[in-house]
Amino acid sequence: MPGADQILVALLTGLADAAALFFVASGLTVIFGVTRVVNFAHGSLTMLGAYCGWSLISRLPPTPLGFTLGALATMLVLAVIGAMMEIGLLRRVYRAPELFQLLATFGVVLMAEDIVQALWGVEDLALRRPPWLRAFVLVGGARFPRFDLFVIVLFPLIFLFLWLLFTRTRWGRLVRAATEDRDMVAALGVDQRLLFTSVFALGAALAGLGGVLALPDASANLGMDLTTVTDAFVVVVVGGLGSLSGAALASLLIGFLQAFGIMLVPKATLALVFVVMAVVLVLRPNGLLGRPPGRERASGETQAVVRPAPRALGLLGLGTLILALLAPFFLGPYALAIATEMLIAMLFAASLHFMMGPGGMASFGHAAWFGIGAYASAFAVRLLAAPMPLGLLVAPVAAAVMAALFGSFVVRLSGVYLAMLTLAFAEIAWAIAFQWVNVTGGDNGILGVWPASAFAGPRAFYWLTLLLTTLGTLWLRRILAAPFGYALRGVRDSRRRAEAIGVAVMPLQLTAFTLAGAAAGLAGGLYAYGKGSVFPTYISLGHSVDALLMVLLGGVGTISGPIVGALAYTGLYDVLLSVTGLWRLVLGAAIILLVLVFPEGIAGGVFRLWQRMRPA
Amino acid sequence: MMREKPLLAVEALATFYGRAQILHGISFTCDAGETLVLLGRNGAGKSTTMKSVIGLVRPASGAIRFAGESIFAAEPHRISRLGLGYVPEERRIFAGLTVAENLDIGRQAPRPGLAPWTTARLYALFPNLAVARNRLAGQMSGGEQQMLAIARTLMGNPRLVLLDEPSEGLSPLIVEQMADAILALKAEGVGIVLAEQNLHFALRLADRAVVIEKGLAVWSGSITALAADEATRQRFLAVGVEA
Repeated sequence: MPGADQILVALLTGLADAAALFFVASGLTVIFGVTRVVNFAHGSLTMLGAYCGWSLISRLPPTPLGFTLGALATMLVLAVIGAMMEIGLLRRVYRAPELFQLLATFGVVLMAEDIVQALWGVEDLALRRPPWLRAFVLVGGARFPRFDLFVIVLFPLIFLFLWLLFTRTRWGRLVRAATEDRDMVAALGVDQRLLFTSVFALGAALAGLGGVLALPDASANLGMDLTTVTDAFVVVVVGGLGSLSGAALASLLIGFLQAFGIMLVPKATLALVFVVMAVVLVLRPNGLLGRPPGRERASGETQAVVRPAPRALGLLGLGTLILALLAPFFLGPYALAIATEMLIAMLFAASLHFMMGPGGMASFGHAAWFGIGAYASAFAVRLLAAPMPLGLLVAPVAAAVMAALFGSFVVRLSGVYLAMLTLAFAEIAWAIAFQWVNVTGGDNGILGVWPASAFAGPRAFYWLTLLLTTLGTLWLRRILAAPFGYALRGVRDSRRRAEAIGVAVMPLQLTAFTLAGAAAGLAGGLYAYGKGSVFPTYISLGHSVDALLMVLLGGVGTISGPIVGALAYTGLYDVLLSVTGLWRLVLGAAIILLVLVFPEGIAGGVFRLWQRMRPA
Repeated sequence: MMREKPLLAVEALATFYGRAQILHGISFTCDAGETLVLLGRNGAGKSTTMKSVIGLVRPASGAIRFAGESIFAAEPHRISRLGLGYVPEERRIFAGLTVAENLDIGRQAPRPGLAPWTTARLYALFPNLAVARNRLAGQMSGGEQQMLAIARTLMGNPRLVLLDEPSEGLSPLIVEQMADAILALKAEGVGIVLAEQNLHFALRLADRAVVIEKGLAVWSGSITALAADEATRQRFLAVGVEA
């Protein structure tokens, strides 16, 4: 049993963690509350804050005053960056579907990574630590960093500041009113743009503060954007989207959970947080202090009906398929390997689109099913020495079983909360793959998952992949054109009305979720055999984001969208990677440009152009 | 001398939701100190007309002029700043803010030629709000929320107010209070465009009426003419006026 000193230190550590979480999460929750934008780039703002802070503080005298000045200057810089991001990008997409705003912030994430790398390099940057930063206080017999005590004190101060700002100033009242009903605020004569820009600047400054305060204990590093935003999402969702007090409460909960988790269950710390988040969301779908989502979007913004592909598109698809069949005769092994990956990406994206587009359930954790499929195949090969057909059968079955299990919780929610619960499950799956080293090999993965000899050659494996992914994609498409698909879209457009005419909403959505999981699992199994190995990265947030990008790039409103998106994304990625080291910058810029020019995705945009050119 | 232009003039307004055309041509005018009622059945297009005027829904074609400026498809906050107030049918009060805070959101600078509204004057007009000033707006009754919605818009010192079905779902006693408040507004010289299904309420308050049917203005004239025109009432409103 841990002693009293240990418990006290864990308490203090938990408080310090909670404070760090709160600075970032408070900004995220305020931004979401007012603008309804899920800002995936919030972690990137924290990362920028850490790097800017490092540069500024390193140049200032190594005193508490120098540090404070550097931190304030960093917050100012970040406020400007946040305002620029709002004015230049988000302001133009407020009226676009929510998922497009998400895509835009993904673009910023990608660009920020390369910009930071170009300006500051790939090395982690730690602050030189003068004596006052290295100082400890004695807590019982244990040592506790004095700087962390300062961070702990800052937590209630910042909370109080924000609370006064939101309750005692007209600006704060406007922000709270806009969080409830921004159109009504506009109709009362308030310029929303000024409000939104200032909210974004405040949120970015808080994110920057979080970044600076992470410097003394850790360092500025390139991975902190996604880890930070994941943590901040957890806090915001557990606390209730848009709720400041909720964010504070959830920060405390998660901070203590991490501090005591390391002490009590060191091997399951990563999963623990997400397990708690899942439990909270299942018990309280709107978070601890969240309110049910306010006014729904105005009518007239429902998605266009997906109709059968026009004849020309069908012929184009057939032509592409024939071309794909013949591809091995004129492609080299490297190009063929890329083509194989593209096909797998196509099925992966189509499976996500299936639940996201017609199903109306956006997922931030779709890589879970892909990864479970991949690991299932790997286990089948390594533990059971299963032949390849069995290995490929196990992948979708295992993914479907897990998807059905998790899905029964997920389909109770909707919107961002649903997406966050899928993220929680994916992170749990990732944590298991990463931390349960004895079974999964941890970071080293599982190697030696090779296909049967008949399919060992790149051509044969390509054809097998072509067959299975095409069948899988067509199968999903077939389901969407069946009454099941109609009911699914009906539920997406109006859950209540669908319920009223006798659609069993939850079983329907659960079935869709399971089918999507199975298809993603098949993609994962194929990928495992194609690469000969599986790694936890298959389940990572980054991989889920890849799938989202493919679907959103292609367009949610069309069936061919995810196919086009997968091909475009994988193709763009491979081409960019071979041409430039700054592929993220170019890709991010391309995504942002796409969002601004084609708010309905590539396929949707082309379809619109095609319709416009056709005589009426 | 030329006749002064009306305060609000709407001409051949057409609005779509997606591909569905909701308004096919709505025209009306309203002057300062005048009360115009838009009558029509549920779904006729009264609310959409108001939302198109205030800019919450983007109209497709037509013309809207207010106080000498075109406000067609302008941004809602600019329209509001010109002195055009809007009280939505669903009230849309800020439930998580107190009554006093709700009023503060609507506050705008005084407008020349109009006695500025203050919280004190509004509390006098709606005594229920004075009692509840520190309560959360979401905890108030429907009638009180309706009063708050009107008071909040008045804080912007509008020259003209669009009132979307202020009597809907309220008890007769509250409807009486509402009518008194509207008459008081009128006496201040504020123009009022009222959307109503309740013909009694309309006949009592309005000077002129426009009847809307399936997104089209099908009849317009003085309220006395409407009271006399049994055929029009039967055809478009399907309710009689008891003697």
